[in-house]
Amino acid sequence: MAPLAAQSRANRMKRIEEMSLWERLYFPEVIRGLTVTGYRFWRNLIVHTLHKLGLARKVQAAITVQYPDERAPYPDTFRGRHRLTLKDDGLVQCTACFLCATACPAECIYIEAGEYPDNPVEKYPIRYEIDTLRCIYCGFCVEACPCDAIRMDTGTHPGNLGFSRKDFVENKEVLMQRSRELAEKGKEGLYEEYVKPYRHV
Amino acid sequence: MQAYIDQLIRDGYFAGMPKEVVYAVAMVLAAFIVLSVFVAPLAGVTSWLERRVWARMQSRVGPNRVGPQGILQWLADGIKNLLKEDLIPSAADAKLFSLAPYVVFVGFLCAFVVIPFGSQLIVADLNIGILYILAVTSLVVVGILMAGWSSNNKWSLLGGMRSAAQIVSYEIPAGLSILTIVFLAGTMSMQGIIKAQGWAPWDWFLFNNPFTFAAFFLYFTAALAEGNRTPFDIPEAESELVAGYVTEYSGMRFLFFFFAEWGNLYVIGAVATTLFLGGWQVPPVTSDPILLGVLQFVVFFLKAYLWVFIAMWVRATLPRVRVDQLMALCWKYMVPLSFLCLLGTICWMLVFPKGNQIFSVAMFVLGLLIVAYFFKRVVFQIRHARPELYFKPHI
Amino acid sequence: MNETAPVQSQGFYAEEMTISVGPQHPSTHGVLRFVVKTDGEVINEAIPDVGYLHRSIEKIGEKVTWHGYVPYTDRADYLAAMFANQVFCMAAEKLAGTEVTRRGEFCRVIACELNRIASHLISVGTFGQDIGAMTPFVHALRERETINNLMEEICGARLTYNYIRIGGVGYDILPETCTRITEFLDHFEPIVDEFNRLLSNNKIFIERLAGVAVISKEDAFSYNLVGPNLRGCGIKWDIRRDIPYSVYPELEFEVPVGTGQVGTLGDSYDRYWVRIRELQESCKILRQCLKMFPKGPAIAKVPRKFKPPVGECYARVEAPRGDMGFYVVSDGSEYPYRVRIRTGSFTAMSIIDKLSKGIMVADLIALIGSLDVDAPEIDR
Repeated sequence: MAPLAAQSRANRMKRIEEMSLWERLYFPEVIRGLTVTGYRFWRNLIVHTLHKLGLARKVQAAITVQYPDERAPYPDTFRGRHRLTLKDDGLVQCTACFLCATACPAECIYIEAGEYPDNPVEKYPIRYEIDTLRCIYCGFCVEACPCDAIRMDTGTHPGNLGFSRKDFVENKEVLMQRSRELAEKGKEGLYEEYVKPYRHV
Repeated sequence: MQAYIDQLIRDGYFAGMPKEVVYAVAMVLAAFIVLSVFVAPLAGVTSWLERRVWARMQSRVGPNRVGPQGILQWLADGIKNLLKEDLIPSAADAKLFSLAPYVVFVGFLCAFVVIPFGSQLIVADLNIGILYILAVTSLVVVGILMAGWSSNNKWSLLGGMRSAAQIVSYEIPAGLSILTIVFLAGTMSMQGIIKAQGWAPWDWFLFNNPFTFAAFFLYFTAALAEGNRTPFDIPEAESELVAGYVTEYSGMRFLFFFFAEWGNLYVIGAVATTLFLGGWQVPPVTSDPILLGVLQFVVFFLKAYLWVFIAMWVRATLPRVRVDQLMALCWKYMVPLSFLCLLGTICWMLVFPKGNQIFSVAMFVLGLLIVAYFFKRVVFQIRHARPELYFKPHI
Repeated sequence: MNETAPVQSQGFYAEEMTISVGPQHPSTHGVLRFVVKTDGEVINEAIPDVGYLHRSIEKIGEKVTWHGYVPYTDRADYLAAMFANQVFCMAAEKLAGTEVTRRGEFCRVIACELNRIASHLISVGTFGQDIGAMTPFVHALRERETINNLMEEICGARLTYNYIRIGGVGYDILPETCTRITEFLDHFEPIVDEFNRLLSNNKIFIERLAGVAVISKEDAFSYNLVGPNLRGCGIKWDIRRDIPYSVYPELEFEVPVGTGQVGTLGDSYDRYWVRIRELQESCKILRQCLKMFPKGPAIAKVPRKFKPPVGECYARVEAPRGDMGFYVVSDGSEYPYRVRIRTGSFTAMSIIDKLSKGIMVADLIALIGSLDVDAPEIDR
């Protein structure tokens, strides 16, 4: 026990300003702490009860969001799952220029380019795959794309896509389908669909 | 209850059976019923309530999925723990390891025998009631020490050792504070102590004289320490000792420890109510014995639960003391102070053998003033937290 | 783990017990490990064991482009990702001589100071939890959640921001976001007072920390402590003030230092208190930035194939856990030749062995919490 004793002697409480007797007592400061928690308790209790009665909806009590039932709104900048945008005729906008694959720091984008038989100017991706297990959702692909072909504005999280590594590779069809769904249902609808399996469990 | 069984025997329900066997079976049955109908839900609901109270204090929601407002959460937790595998570490002392939770459990459960829920509602009004409670709740330390030692885990061992030192030390201030009341009441029977008080707050022993007033807080603090509650929860200090003496426990055995802890919380409240807050004493509003019994039970239950709530509140607010500070607090401050309370009460009894009604009322007013000051602080809190900005969601 | 050696302590022999604190221990934030030799509750020796969270971020830097390394720097210290972003970009800019736009600089400072508040909230909150107070932690996280929402609005992510780019910032801060930040500050400043009422002034909390694990000025220098840990010893050293970068010279703020107000100078409470004061200072800086916010582009024109000239450079910023530095070497190619990260937590870790002699197990937890060591930053 020697080291402890030595240290406590060396570190004898040395104060710049002396605490008053009031401060030195345990109770005042303890009670001050209790008021903080007490205030939160009664306030939240009353507001929650009012919520149950359908009153004071605008007043927020708990910061918690009951996730599958309700959710916090996502800002527009939120980097969600990718999608490949479509041209007016429903074909993929991507021209397989490889800029996204080059910019990708995780090297998770694989593109195989092909040519339209009737259009000698543009190419298109035969395969466009994103390995979501590697992807770090940094958004560099979106910034790199010169023709706005890839976006991350679906407003949904990367979810569990399956139970083998293969399942987590999102191919071109999946990414294009997401665009179609977004156009059809909108951001909210897409999110609803995403959340639905987690509700009422 | 004995009278009722005697009546049944006389009516010939148990013909041919020795009287003692009938008594024994009846006692076991009664204990089982009390355990499953009252104590288990009490501890369970207390656990749920604690989590909800904490959640409110922390601006969370808390368990709200199982049953209305999550009130059946404790049942779900219990079933989950019951179905879990009963793990015993291979290096543990298996016998002691499996025995320890029951020792702890028995320690707190036995205390319910003498808790007076009403003038008639008591299992056994022992003439050494309060001494009996002190004795059986001390059994908890044996269980905790067993758990700590037999787990063969260094964290458990440290937790067990801390617990032994802590509980044994805090028995002294708790015992001395209780002794002041025993002096005042002149009896150790729980019913006797309650009967020595009145229904009005100034007839309670709490406001009898300044020394009992101090003794109450000493008792409550010491009891919190005995019950391993924050700020004195050093035996299981989860941020230091992982989980202390319960580190190696899982499943139902783990649950038993916490079952005991939450049940013990109620015992603390009940003893404090009995000794200091007038117990089940109610104003003479009715003479109907059943209505009176219900009223007494409700009053006692609420008074005791108020202290359970305060223990939760304290636990949500305060940090944990260090083990040497804990012992210093006990031996340097609480033991001398409780001796002082004891001596003061004795002197007071010499000066005012019949008690001092005026002084009691004054003490009561002082207590009210303290509560008023407390609420003033809460108002200050509300003013300074600028809630109108807090109300805006997702800013 | 089970070797026992008799140690002499105060004339009688006691058996030394070796305990492994961590890597799965509630109070070793992340995955730290200490091999602790104790005599009962009193620690004789606590040897830090690092490396459980090593992700070779430095090596990855040699394999990705200059631009592409920015998201990886997020992971160097995920509680204060913005600072690693900034310091790497500063190093790259220094090498290439890129001029950052003025609005870009302000965006950086706003994002960084918000991030500093978030990081310090985690620090003081978990510190409270280490000491045993449950509620302050949740209250701190509640406020941090609002900052996360703001961050999500600014840069689209809540934890790994990837916001700061070479030459500026990725996304501009919109005026409505600025309004939200002001609203948050109006709400947050009184919350700091409430936090003090709840935790900082609590007698038990003070007693647990006052005079515990005192670091002298000499020790602080010789162990190369930085950031709040250094300032807690009473040394006024802040990169923002002493080696100014970005727009900090234009801003007015104080550098809080420890005063030993409740115990000895340089004790755990001083380090904690410096963090609380820095929360308030950050609020001050944010208000000034929002007032001075200039118009213009948020990012300078930087070539997509960023190839800084051959050379090396070291950039440093004041991160929440102290001086954070990136040493980068360029061989003129698209990829950095070498990246080396210097973080505050790593040096803070080295002093634990010295300080832990003779303190109790509970104090060790307080010490780790007060140094605010952060596993990802140590191992990188």
